[in-house]
Amino acid sequence: MKNIKYLLMATCALSIWSCKPEKFEPITTDVNVVKQMQGTWTLSSVIQVDEDAKTKGFPYKQLDVTNVYPYKDLVLSFQGDAQGNPSTFSITSGNAPRITELTSGNWSVDNGQAPTNIILKNGTTQSLLTFSSYTGLKSGKLNIKKVKMSNGKVILSYQYEFTKK
Amino acid sequence: MKKILLTIILGVSAVFAFAQGKVTLSPASFTAEDEVTITLDVTGTPLAGLDDIYIWAFSNDGVGGGKDALTNGQWTSSSNDAKMLKAGPNLFTFKFTGTALFGQSPSELINFGFLGKTKDGGKQTPDYKPFKFDPLVFVPSQFRVFPAKMDGTDMTTVYFQQNLATDVNLMRMYNVKVNLTFYDEAGNVAGSKMGIVAVRESDVLYSLSFIPDRVVTLPTGVKLTKFTYQFAGSVKDANGADVATSGPVNEVNYTVFN
Repeated sequence: MKNIKYLLMATCALSIWSCKPEKFEPITTDVNVVKQMQGTWTLSSVIQVDEDAKTKGFPYKQLDVTNVYPYKDLVLSFQGDAQGNPSTFSITSGNAPRITELTSGNWSVDNGQAPTNIILKNGTTQSLLTFSSYTGLKSGKLNIKKVKMSNGKVILSYQYEFTKK
Repeated sequence: MKKILLTIILGVSAVFAFAQGKVTLSPASFTAEDEVTITLDVTGTPLAGLDDIYIWAFSNDGVGGGKDALTNGQWTSSSNDAKMLKAGPNLFTFKFTGTALFGQSPSELINFGFLGKTKDGGKQTPDYKPFKFDPLVFVPSQFRVFPAKMDGTDMTTVYFQQNLATDVNLMRMYNVKVNLTFYDEAGNVAGSKMGIVAVRESDVLYSLSFIPDRVVTLPTGVKLTKFTYQFAGSVKDANGADVATSGPVNEVNYTVFN
């Protein structure tokens, strides 16, 4: 009877001792956005969005302007240094309208893990692009946005989709 | 003699222009539900040098359905709510929201105007008007632009919705083209292009998308402040011959983004 008692106690102790938090594997693999941005991209689509009309619920909110001018000529290149950090960029417009006032310089992001803004810089001139979404990066799509504001209010934006070369 | 005459004319014009006072609205564009700050510089007006100035505001000038501001009071005795805040020598400000100031709904408010005055109405500035409210409700019209606000570097699309035309010639117009004219800061024509073939998007919709410097060659460094567009085309006369016709010239001011 005594043996059964000790056996039960030992079993309980072992059961309690074996309890530990289960480590879950990540649902997806880590996305290194900054590294995945690096490379050469060609512009594949341009959507003009009337953000003010969107806010007001007006019927005409956006317009695909990709084929109005040869936007698809535009090539964007983000380079990284040996450690994979952002370094230089270049934009070759060809016959496409310009998407920023800069054509070359250095680029950086506001947050290495989850960037929202891409900062393009050449000397004292700076241009800001923002991420629309990261989801396309794995499949070779870079979705960025240029926003135009008036008195702190977003009025107009351009959504650019690039395809990795 | 000619020079003296020219000097006199220019001098009188300058004094007249200065005597109008100067108005700044912040933000520059606003709906009837946005708070707006009027800044009035009364230099050169009969109110110059005074400390107490009152606003006399009115809505929908020239378009019907206008009302005096609820703060106006009597012309010979402005209400204290209409008193403008002195912000500096000859400089006065007044904050308001269209719907509250006029007691009208956003859909009723199209524009507003105002003047500055003394409490007893003995002295006043000229009228400053009309300042348009941005619509809060979409109203279909025969001509429209996309986006609603843009600057001189943006892609702009102008539309002609033919089934909304009210003019008989415009209802029948075909072979539709667009005339574009761009203006610089001094109000001079910076470039224009006539007769650009419009895209026929459907039986009743024509459009043209453009970026100004792709349509005209602009002088280096020029800053565009507005453009005009006009849809033109042909109609058949009684003998079946083509006759040129055109719609009104529509003006679009460029927005200053910051």
